[in-house]
Formats: sequence, C-alpha cells, structure tokens
Amino acid sequence: MSEVLVDMRSITKRFPGITANYKVNFQVYRGEIHALLGENGAGKSTLMSILSGFYRPDNGEIRIRGKKVNLRSPREALKHGIGMVHQHFRLVEPFSVAENIILGTTGRLQFYLNRREFADRIARFAQSYGITIDPWAKVWQLSVGEKQRIEILKLLYRGADVLILDEPTAVLTPQNVRELFQTLRQMADNGRSIILITHKLQEVMEAADRITVLRKGRNVGTVFKKDVDERELTRMMVERDVLFCTTNPSHDIGPAVLRLEGISVVGDGGIPALKNLSLEVHAGEILGIAGIAGNGQRELAEAVTGLRPVAGGRVIVGGQDLTNQPASRFIEAGVSSVPEDRLGTGLVSNLDLYDNVILKDYRKPPIRRGPFLNHRVAREKASRLVSEFNIQVSDLSYPVRMLSGGNLQRLLLAREISLQPKLIVASYPVRGLDVGATEAVYRLLIELSNAGTAILLVSEDLDELLTLSDRIAVLFRGELMGVVPAREAEIEKLGLMMVGALTVEGRRA
Amino acid sequence: MLKLRRVAFWVLLIFILTLGLMGCGKSTTQPTASEGKEKLKVAFIYIGPVGDAGWTYAHEQGRKYLEQHVPDIETKIVEKVPEVDGEKVATQLVQEGYKVIFATSFGYMDGIINVAKKYPNIIFLHCSGYKTAPNVGTYFGRMYQARYLSGIVAGKMTKTNKIGYVAAFPIPEVVRGINAFTLGVRAVNPKATVNVVWTNTWLNPALEKDAAKSLLEQGCDIITQHQDSPGPMQAAEEKGAYGIGYNSDMSKYAPKAFLTAPVWNWGPYYVKVINEIKEGKWKSSQYWGPMSDGIVGLAPFSKAVPEDVRKLVEEKKQLILSGKWDVFTGPIKDQKGEIRVKDGERMTDQAMLSFDWFVEGVQGTIPAKK
Amino acid sequence: MSNSRFVNRFRLRVEKQIHTSPWISLLIPFTSIVLALLVGAVFLSLTGNNPWKVYGVMFKGAFGSVFGLSECVVNAIPLLMTGLAVALAFRMLLWNIGAEGQFYMGAFAASWVALSFPHAPMYLVMPGMLLAGFAGGAVWGLLPAVLRAFLGVNETLTTLMLNYVAILWVDSLVYGPWRDPQGYNFPLTAQFSSAATLPTLGNTRIHAGVFLALAAAVVIYIILKHTVWGYEIRVIGESQKAAKYAGINVVKNILLVMLLSGGLSGLAGYCEVAEITHRLQESISAGYGYTAIIVAWLGKLNPWAIMVVSFLFGGFLVGGYTMQSAGLPAATVSILQGAILFFVLAGEVLTRYRICVVERRNDR
Repeated sequence: MSEVLVDMRSITKRFPGITANYKVNFQVYRGEIHALLGENGAGKSTLMSILSGFYRPDNGEIRIRGKKVNLRSPREALKHGIGMVHQHFRLVEPFSVAENIILGTTGRLQFYLNRREFADRIARFAQSYGITIDPWAKVWQLSVGEKQRIEILKLLYRGADVLILDEPTAVLTPQNVRELFQTLRQMADNGRSIILITHKLQEVMEAADRITVLRKGRNVGTVFKKDVDERELTRMMVERDVLFCTTNPSHDIGPAVLRLEGISVVGDGGIPALKNLSLEVHAGEILGIAGIAGNGQRELAEAVTGLRPVAGGRVIVGGQDLTNQPASRFIEAGVSSVPEDRLGTGLVSNLDLYDNVILKDYRKPPIRRGPFLNHRVAREKASRLVSEFNIQVSDLSYPVRMLSGGNLQRLLLAREISLQPKLIVASYPVRGLDVGATEAVYRLLIELSNAGTAILLVSEDLDELLTLSDRIAVLFRGELMGVVPAREAEIEKLGLMMVGALTVEGRRA
Repeated sequence: MLKLRRVAFWVLLIFILTLGLMGCGKSTTQPTASEGKEKLKVAFIYIGPVGDAGWTYAHEQGRKYLEQHVPDIETKIVEKVPEVDGEKVATQLVQEGYKVIFATSFGYMDGIINVAKKYPNIIFLHCSGYKTAPNVGTYFGRMYQARYLSGIVAGKMTKTNKIGYVAAFPIPEVVRGINAFTLGVRAVNPKATVNVVWTNTWLNPALEKDAAKSLLEQGCDIITQHQDSPGPMQAAEEKGAYGIGYNSDMSKYAPKAFLTAPVWNWGPYYVKVINEIKEGKWKSSQYWGPMSDGIVGLAPFSKAVPEDVRKLVEEKKQLILSGKWDVFTGPIKDQKGEIRVKDGERMTDQAMLSFDWFVEGVQGTIPAKK
Repeated sequence: MSNSRFVNRFRLRVEKQIHTSPWISLLIPFTSIVLALLVGAVFLSLTGNNPWKVYGVMFKGAFGSVFGLSECVVNAIPLLMTGLAVALAFRMLLWNIGAEGQFYMGAFAASWVALSFPHAPMYLVMPGMLLAGFAGGAVWGLLPAVLRAFLGVNETLTTLMLNYVAILWVDSLVYGPWRDPQGYNFPLTAQFSSAATLPTLGNTRIHAGVFLALAAAVVIYIILKHTVWGYEIRVIGESQKAAKYAGINVVKNILLVMLLSGGLSGLAGYCEVAEITHRLQESISAGYGYTAIIVAWLGKLNPWAIMVVSFLFGGFLVGGYTMQSAGLPAATVSILQGAILFFVLAGEVLTRYRICVVERRNDR
C-alpha cells in the first residue's frame, strides 16, 4: 500500500455535555479520495477540525508522514500540508482571484507586488490542475462553484497535499458536482490526498476510494468502496446496538389528532423541503419519522407546530384547520413540542427555571393575572415539575444553561407534558443523552402515548423508532417513501427507503 | 490543568506600577500670589476652546490684556461650555466666589438671566445678547464697521468680481456682517457680487474649509468668513486666492493669501468695565461699542494690499470714527432692488440688530426665509 | 525552563462567566474606577498638576454642595429617561441608538403645544405637552420599528440616521417659521407661557421632571419584572427562536417596545423644553441620547442600576466643569473623563468574562 500521510490515533474530543469524538483512529493514504461518512452530529466535522488545527484534541495523537505533530492553529496545520475548505468560503469578495490566493501567503510584508507576473503564475498553476480561471476576476463576480475552486487553489498554492472538503457538494448543482469530482480525481492522481466530509451516499459511491464511517463520535469502520454497497453503508451509519429493553405495550389507538393533507413546505434556502405530504397521527399512537438527516424532518416538525408556513395543503389538529395559523394557536390547540435545538429554542438558556417552565402557558390564568405574571404560581409549578420529573438542579433561580443535557431534556419534556397536550412533536429527543436519561425520556413518551397523547417522533435511530413507534414513516428528499407498522418493519427495507431505493405501495393518506 | 483567576494579580501589578510612576511626576503647585488686598474675582465662560484662533481666542486675548492692566484681580476661564450648560457653569462660578462673570456666547442668555435673578449681588456681562437685568449688562461691538472697511479691500482687489463669503448661521449678526461687507465692496466696485455659503457651524475647520473651496471653484478669488476657524483662509492659501479673515489676525495660517481681517479687541472694554465695577460706578446697560472705542478694527494689512487701497480704507475709517457717517446710511437697496433705507437716513440699532434681509449685491438666500 | 518554553506552556483563555458572584460584580467596577483614577493621576502629574487636588475639586464640585448635588440630579433626569428608553429596547436586542432624535422630536411636539396654545390654562397645556412629547418621540421610534418589523431593515442605522433628521428639523423650525418675532431674529422660539412651565425645587434647577423620571424607572421595572408583556420582551431578547416557539408575536413586540422607548426619550425632550430652556432652540440636548447608551450599558439594563449610574454620570459632567475652574484645560478634562469611562467599560467586560491561565496539553 502507498504511504500513510495522515495518521490520527485514538482521538477523543469532548464538548460540554457531549463527546464529539471517542478514541477515533483515522488514516489517509497518499493519492486517495477518502470519504468521511456519518449522520449529522456523528463527529465528522469535529474530527476534521482537529486535523486542520481549529480544535485541539483532549486525547490522542496525530502523525503526519509518520512524524508526531502538535497542531495549534490552522496556519500550523497548513505548514504540515493540511488544508480545509469550509462550507462557508473565506474569500475577500472585492478582491481579485489572484489577490485572494496570495493573501496571507507571504511570510513578510511585501510592499511591492508584481501583479501581472503573479497573475500569470496563478493562471499557470491552476492550469496544471486542469482548472481554468481568470486571475483578474473579482471574487464577487464568480459563481459558487468557481469560488469553491478558488478556495481549493488557495490551499494547493500554499502547498497543501491533504485537502479536507466539508460537505463540498451541498452548494453545487449536479453538473458542478461532476466537475468537482473530476478535479479532485486529477489531484489525487497527482499524489495529493482528499478527505471528503459528507453524508450523501451516492457521492461517496461515485467519488471515494475508501470510506470511514463515524457514528456517535466513534469510528464504525473503514472500508474500500469496492467492498461495500449503499445498503451496507446505511447499516453502518444508522444501526445501533440495542441498549434498552423498553417496549411499547399494545394499546388502543384513537381517532386522528393530527392530519396533514398534501402539505408542501419550502425550506430555508427557498428549496422545496416537503412535497405533497399526507400523514395522520392518532391519539395514543407513536408515529416515527425515519430518514437521513436533512430530508425534511425539521421542516415537518416546524410545519406541524406552526413555526413554518405551508405553501400548499392543510394542517388539521383535532378537527381544527390550523393551516398557516400563528404558533400560539397551535399551542392552544394542544400541540406540544420538543424541538431539535433544546437550549435556544425549547428553553431559554439565560433565563431561570421559573421563567422557563411558564414559556408555553404564561398567557393563561392562573399564571397570568390581568397584565401581570403571578410569580407565586410560576414558582409552585417549577418546584412541582422539578420534584415530579426528578430534575437535578441546585438552585431554581440559576439560568437553565447550568443544567446538564439530561436534566434539560427532562425539564423540557416536563413542561410540555404539563400542558396536557393532545399531540407531542419530539425531534431527536435523546440525542446526546446518556443511557439513564435516554431511558427516562423513553419511559415518559410511552406513558404519554398510553394516556392517549398522539406522538410524532422524529429520529435518526432506527432501533429507537422500532422500539417505540407504532408505525414508521420514512422521508426521503421531502417525500414520503411509505408508512410501515413497526412490528412488521425490517431494518433492511427501512434502510432502502431512507436512501430512496424503495417505495412502499399503499401508503396511507 | 492549572486554572487561576488572575484579575487580582493584574490589579495589584498595575497599582504598583502606577504608584511608581507617580513618584516621578512633579507636583507643581503654584504659590498663591500676593496676599493682602482682597482681589476681585472675575470669570469668563467660553463657548469654544481658547486655541480656536477665532472668537474665543479673541476673548482670551482680551482677558490677558485685562490681567495685565488692572491690579488686584483674579481671573478664571471655563472653556468649551455648551450653551445649555451655561446656567450650570455660571452658578458654579458664583458659588466658587466669583463676583463678575463674562458669558461670551449668545446662547447663554436665558441661563445668565436665570442665575442673575438668584444672585443679585453678582454682576453678569453677556456678550451679544439682548436681555438685561439690574445686574446683567450686555456688550458687543459694531463689527459691521470693520467689515465694511474689509469690503473695500475686497472690492478693490478682486479680479473676477466674485467674492466668497463663508457664513456661519443665518442670524442677524452674521447677516449684518455680510451686508456691511457687501456695501463696502460695492462702494468701490459696483459690478462685484458677494456669494454666500452657509455652513451652520461656528467651529468646524474641515467643513468650513470645504465651503470655501466650493466658493473658489465657482470663480471667487477672495474669501472671507464668519467662523472661528482658519479653515477658509487655508483654502484660499492652497488655491492661490486672497482671504480676509475674522476675529483675530490669521496671517500665520495663510501668509500669502491673508490680506487683513476685521478683528475684535475686547481688552480695552474689559479694562474699562472692570474699573467701573471696582469704583462702584457700574450700571447695567446695553453696550454696542463703535470702532472709535477700539473694540473692533482691522488687522494690519499684508504686503499684498497696495498703497491706494490702504489710503482709501483709511479715509473711510476716519469718516466712520468721526461719527458723521455710518455704514448703514441710505440709500440702501435690497436684493430685489427695492429701496429699504431712504437717502440720507440712518438705520436704527433696533433694525440693525434684527437684520433678516440681504442688500443688493449679495448672491445667496437666508435659508429660513421664503 | 527557558522563558519561551514557559510562555508556550500556558495560554490565556477568555471564557464567559457562568455565574457572576455578587462580590465580584461589586469589586470590579470599584477597582476599575480606582484604576482609572490612578492612571488619570499619572497623566495629571505628568502634565504638571496635583492629581489629589484635582480629584478633590472634582468630587467636591459634584457631590460636595447642595448646588453640585442638585445639578447632578438635573443632569440625571434626561439621562435616566433616555437611559431607560434605550435599555428597554436593548433588552429585546433592538439597538435603538436614536434616543437623541426621539428626544428632539419630543421636545418639538411639546413645544408645538406650548406655542400653539399660549393662553391655555395649566391643567390643559401641561398634560397636552406631556402627551405630545411622548407621542413625538414614540412616532420617531416607531418609524424604524416598522421598517425593522416588516422589511427587516437594520434599526441601528435607521435610528442613527433619524437623529440627524430630527435635529435638522428642529433647527429649521427655530431658524424659520418658529422664530420669536421679538427675539431680534435669533434662532429661538418665543418663551413658553408660565402655564407651560413648572416651578423648580427651591433655589435649585431640579424640576418636576424628576418625578416623571423616577416614575418611569418604577414602571419599566414593573413591566419587565412583573408583567406578561415584560416576560415576552425578556424571552425575545434572549432568543428569538424560543420566542417564536412559545408563540410570541415578535413583530407586535418590536413595534410596542420601540413605541415606548421612543416615547420615553420624547418625554425627556419635553422635560428639557418645559423645565429647563422654556423654549425650543437648537442644540437642546447635550448629547443625552448618546450618553444614554453608556448609562444603559453600565446599568446592565436594570432600571435601579440605571438610576444610580445616571446620577453618577450627572456628577461626572458637573465635576468636569469644576475641574476646569480648578485650572485644567477642557481637553485635559475630556481625556480624564475618557480614561475613567474606558476603565469602567473594560471592567464591565471582566464581570461578564473571566480570564484563565490554562496549561497547554499534549505538549513536550
């Protein structure tokens, strides 16, 4: 085998409340395109940020060309030949291409620059990688694809021979993607190494030589592309060890609480995020939403809680048509939600526990008394929830950001449950939680559903969905690939549906 | 991992360094001068900084003159006092024991009247206002007389027959100055016009310089001004044009361009009024001093001003000093050509103090007027 | 161990304070002021002054006499009102730096009432001016709020720009149609009738506006702390995402908060014309609307703290003039004031963040 350029050994990196990388080993050979695959939050970006000098690992060591290094900054990483192209470009828009490339390369201040000579040099340099650019063009005039190429050139010019690209195709059209992959291949053939951070399977299969899959911050395995197929990779990405024995006992399913009639939703970038989606969630039922992150789950959760307008179709909650009504109407209609972003959306990090427990019902008596807040009632509610849901907290008047992840989630759930909701929308409710906290959350959800609450559970963990849900709906690129009863579901089939390879006929409207 | 709170450390370090440095600093307490006779304490409130080369500078020269010429007084200044703070500063000075307070900007007027009511034993002298009280007098000078003379210089020396006037605010004092200047210009050069640009500033060197530049662009070859900064003079210097300053001799800012300037000379008045107060003879009045009192005048001519012009100016000056004739003596036409002051008639002080129209020959408008 | 090795082993890290302990939040402003005075003392002794004498004069001028104290209060009134106005908007992360313009528009509107009804009795003209002052400022605050709420226009820029518009508008009035016919064509309006002005407290210049300002502080405190609306403001200020999630109408709140914020500044403008100048004139504000930003920030957006800070700030301004009459040039006084502000603000940062020395790991 060819030379090992990068060797990361047993890398561990912790952030407050979460372990982003745990004892990850990662090797890159000279001249290969190496895909780093994993779901959102699997720790890909953290690992690469460590390699490119943005973060420093808590444990582990990095060897480059066999030599142990200590990367304190991106500049230092670049000295060792490692450069990263970020999703958000770091170019100076009013400057020309040539100026952007030279920016920061000269060690000493150079007062005199021979612009013409330099521009020619840049153009020739680009040509040698099969890239045609106009060195005089101003960056703001360039297309996204061109800007990306400038970023790559910039790194190459500074002598990078390990290029890390963070989700490079997210911003590109399919044609641009093909061009990019050609360029990357050419560079790899010239003896450089490319690391491709992505969660898109097709791209991996198209471009990569080897693939490393991360899951929950751990390396699940490194494989040659020729040895695997998409199905195998999906399994590696989403499969989890069954940690829990919690099961959802059979219970009665009531009438539909939430009915989505052919809704279409536009995402943040103006791109359709949900297309003509129809679903029902019944009282006492847990409907799981499966799919690889970024396939419309977030937009679905937001549409169902009134946080995102729908472009077409109707949203009906408990018989009431709430299409495009303000979020407060959804709350009144009994929709609770546990958002993906717990601290920041679901809870207000700098406010204390008292203020946080009344976030959803401060408008109603007894917490409201005329124009005033009844602090006494709010305090009582806070203490009641803290003891009922066993939230570990030293002082209720501390800002809630002091709480641990598990306690935050318990607090959030406690508040949402206290509203006696008809429907709960829970997005990734156990992400980042430890075993105990996870079990507590599961138990709460099951109790709720037994009590007749309808639950829409968005998760990327198939085991979790299989354990908890009554039915599982699979989203792929904003479309419903089908709804299957959890008891009959096969993990293989779900995996295929998640990558759009299989549609289940007779999906329920 | 070692984690330290270093705040206390830094505080201590800086504290020690500071103390060390303080030891090097010299303490220079001036010995208080001759005890004995009770000194009259006199304070001046200035709108600008004493180094403005203009209005406040002229008053400061006057104060220094006062200190040199009157014994047994103690003077004090407070500079850069915004108009709304005049009342506060005046009260403060009274409480510090000052017996005579000169307030040298129009905007202090109401505040001074208020303070005067509370302290009837203190004497206030307010420059350029119109409100008096038993213990508040006003003082000002007939600057228009000097302006007229400087207008003669400009009228004789312009080649393009366009003269630029960088004007401060559209208030009567400024309008009066423009009119007097224009009458002087037209007396010797009926074809010349005076072009007015308003800056709405008293002291903004950059802006005032720009305003002068714009006038020079329009073909003016002499610049005069009503602000306190030498900016317009510098603009004229850079363009190789001539300049007529204001307030004080600005020749050092524009040695080539500077011709002369109508200047304030407050010193003699300050000496006179303080002596009156010391002798107990002072009474509240509205003093509007003419050139014959020496309160206004022209700065020395530069080399560029030819002999015949000097002579002409001197003749007119003697006429004004004699009191037989004054600047605003009819016939005077306004911009529309209508006679506003009849032949041989003199404008009253009242009319001059509330000027709100331009005489013939002024190119420009008074903004607020339709 | 060589020096560079030592430096390399440790690094400084700036972290957000998790929970500021009460004694730190008291100690730091105190130390900052002491430090500022020390640095100022060095500066003073280098320029040939006796620092202790200068400080003594400054302190005595501001707080050492009834007059000094009363002037602190007089200065504090507009600072407190505009400070509260700014703080209210800042609480919701609305960067209203237009208090100056709102002040002017309040002064303008109140003056309009006073000048239009010179013979109206006090019980009609006073409330009329009060309402007009509030409304004038409120409209001026609402304008950028509408742009922000419906079009997403950055309010920092619009509020700042509107300051100039308001100031020039007042200028154009006092130089033009509103000039006092008896005023020798000077840029002043006629004096208000005595019905339109309030008596002052004793021999001082403290006027009834002080009650208005104190009431405003109490009202703002109650709103923020005890009302449903204040709760919404706090939530929006901390996280717009959370506010939307809680079903709070953010647009409505932007409009309401800017209305109240502008209105408060407008009231400050009303006080200035009705109680201090008794007429409209140019430059009625000594930059209160801008100083308010510093006051609000130092007061940590807390109404009680803003009350204290605006009083101290008032003293700071009064003391500046006394230092001048102690023989310091105005420029030196400005430098000293600047130094004190700089240190207090820097100390503020220290109460919010902490600096730790951390050993580098994985080295050697």
